[in-house]
Amino acid sequence: MDLRINVLELGVIKYLDAFKLQEELLRRRIEGTIPDTLIVLEHESVLTLGRLSSEENIIDRRYFDENRIDILKTRRGGKITYHAPGQIVLYPIIDLRDKKKDVSFYIDFLERTVARSLSAMGVEVDEKKRRGVWSGEKKIAFIGIGINSWVSYHGVSVNVNNSLDAFRKINPCGEENIEVTSVKECLGIEVDIKRAKHIFAKEFTRSLEEEYGYALKAA
Amino acid sequence: MLLKLPELSENSQEAVITAWHIKETERVQKNQDLLEISTDKATFDLEAPCSGVLARIVKGEGDNASPGEVIAEIRES
Repeated sequence: MDLRINVLELGVIKYLDAFKLQEELLRRRIEGTIPDTLIVLEHESVLTLGRLSSEENIIDRRYFDENRIDILKTRRGGKITYHAPGQIVLYPIIDLRDKKKDVSFYIDFLERTVARSLSAMGVEVDEKKRRGVWSGEKKIAFIGIGINSWVSYHGVSVNVNNSLDAFRKINPCGEENIEVTSVKECLGIEVDIKRAKHIFAKEFTRSLEEEYGYALKAA
Repeated sequence: MLLKLPELSENSQEAVITAWHIKETERVQKNQDLLEISTDKATFDLEAPCSGVLARIVKGEGDNASPGEVIAEIRES
């Protein structure tokens, strides 16, 4: 098993441009011509609907129209979520064929990785209660993945410095009456976004080796 | 053999069949992607457990399925 991983730390990228990049890397990873890759980026403001979502989870459609925020249908799992600059998005393109072919384990792994990253930044993270990552009773990270030929794409988004206004105009992940938060809100200060991206990338790389290396040894 | 929906995760008790990649009466190879399944957090393909002919689709696109439910029948060869 090869646990080398390429990390692409990018800036603010349009959702569809990032999706094209994911598709290209996914195809090449399935072919085996590139190693596992982690994309770390921010998106321009956009609302995305997962495979099982519909616009019924948009509470205030006018808000998105007035702010000219695109609403896009995607092939990821999960329901509805919002992206904006200041929110960090992780798209791991990971070949699970030679690791552990278990979707649930992979989602747990993503949640643990994000929780460790947030803890490293000083954010209090609650033990797992429901899907996603929570600080107190507020959701701070949102999971929605796709797996094609046992290679992952899409991933997880974490509210860092972004405004939370748009989340109040939707039912995030299709869940009614949930509150969301951000690193900025938890810590009371805006954090250095580049440094935060480094922390997520470092924790992801470490966790991949620990958890999938461990999983392989334990198998 | 009867193809059943596997256990997905502790939190996702039900899934939706979002696409079939193979039609009834078509041949499939072991480990070939057969259908796409979506849960509350993931979209992924389910592979054929054996080679043969896809004899019958029990759960079509848009249908819900729970772990253990039969979703198709493959005539092995």
